[in-house]
Amino acid sequence: MNLQLLLNWRLHLAVILTSMLSEYIGIIRIPMGPGTLLLLPLLYAFVIGVLFNPHLFKVMGKVIPQPVSQAAGPLILIAILPFIAKFGSTIGPAIEQIVAAGPALILQELGNLGTMIIALPFAVLVLKMGREAIGATYSIAREPNIAIISDRYGLRSPEGIGIMGVYVVGTMFGTLYFALMAGYIASLDILDVRALAMACGVGSGSMVAACSAALAEAVPSARDELLAFAGASNLLTYATGLYISLFVALPVTEWMYKRLARRSSPEVRHEG
Amino acid sequence: MKANETTVDHFDTDSLKELRPENQLPKTVLILAVVCVAAWFSNTVNGAPLLEALPGMLILYVMVVIGLVVGRLCPFYLPSVAWVSLISIIATLPSFPGSEWIVAQLAEVNFLAVVTPVLAYAGLALTGREFTMFRQTGWKLVLVALLVFTGTFVGSAIVAHLLL
Repeated sequence: MNLQLLLNWRLHLAVILTSMLSEYIGIIRIPMGPGTLLLLPLLYAFVIGVLFNPHLFKVMGKVIPQPVSQAAGPLILIAILPFIAKFGSTIGPAIEQIVAAGPALILQELGNLGTMIIALPFAVLVLKMGREAIGATYSIAREPNIAIISDRYGLRSPEGIGIMGVYVVGTMFGTLYFALMAGYIASLDILDVRALAMACGVGSGSMVAACSAALAEAVPSARDELLAFAGASNLLTYATGLYISLFVALPVTEWMYKRLARRSSPEVRHEG
Repeated sequence: MKANETTVDHFDTDSLKELRPENQLPKTVLILAVVCVAAWFSNTVNGAPLLEALPGMLILYVMVVIGLVVGRLCPFYLPSVAWVSLISIIATLPSFPGSEWIVAQLAEVNFLAVVTPVLAYAGLALTGREFTMFRQTGWKLVLVALLVFTGTFVGSAIVAHLLL
């Protein structure tokens, strides 16, 4: 971490102005089919940030020098922490409701297996991916999951490339995607919003943030309860998620991959 | 696959470890103060004016610092995110002394306003590596990644829905 680059005043001033402008635009609701798409200020902030990114548009190097942008990666990890603290503060006051929902919160981790049921067949049968598909679809590709893959296959293996790809996509778009998806599914009114809040907890810090914020906007009356459930679920994910992905998800993915690859073309098999 | 390989190459567990905020405590604490200021300003639009939100922002700052220190001193590894949220939960439990005052101060800080700057940093911090990855073979992985997120979210929501 290069302190001089990280404390560059232009970078932080740009962020402050971007955030204030985004907040000023506020939440926009777009009716879409049976549901509503929620556009949150964080979406505009991301888009404006990308537009000012000197790696995408060389001209922007005059506003924010390239090395500053290059070095700014660790800022995201740090900037999310105050938010996590704000988030935790919704759990404490709601502790009784959370304890009452305990079993649902713990078993809900198993829902992570939904990942491979949808994504793995698509990756192998439609996109004709090789063993990258295992790394890409066995989990939601957070850091503990990367550690497991790196331990078992190495990160330069096909499995490693698969998980790193999903990790990078998650870092770039995961937050936005979770916010859009959660808000939309909540507006369909099929599943209990508290269940959706728990499902938000499967993501990384910023995904959980955006996801539960979108839910809270969709159902403002249950705001505090929803935030508390999402936060509790995320905390449990850290405790149990690693074991479920190591002992259940990865073996099941391997097994399913072998079955699917046999049905796919032989050309795919030699790639793996 | 070649093109993809070069983009992922230098991404190894060591560099992930080095990025963990609790491993560079003095720098992190300083940078944390700067990003808190960004959140503090972001909060003025839909949250509260600077002075009213000051105690709340300071509480958040202190909670994060405590979380990072505990994470640093703890003999086993848990992500700093988990520690920070644990500290914050404990401090706001109804039985914790002064928790009512803490919760009241934090109410001045808008939930969404604190995330907005994070995404602005994220947009500004994307590097050539990520942009290149998407121009090349990345589209398959993007599609798969979005399915992974959808599958996990819907899967967990269905299990939770049935159990509630």
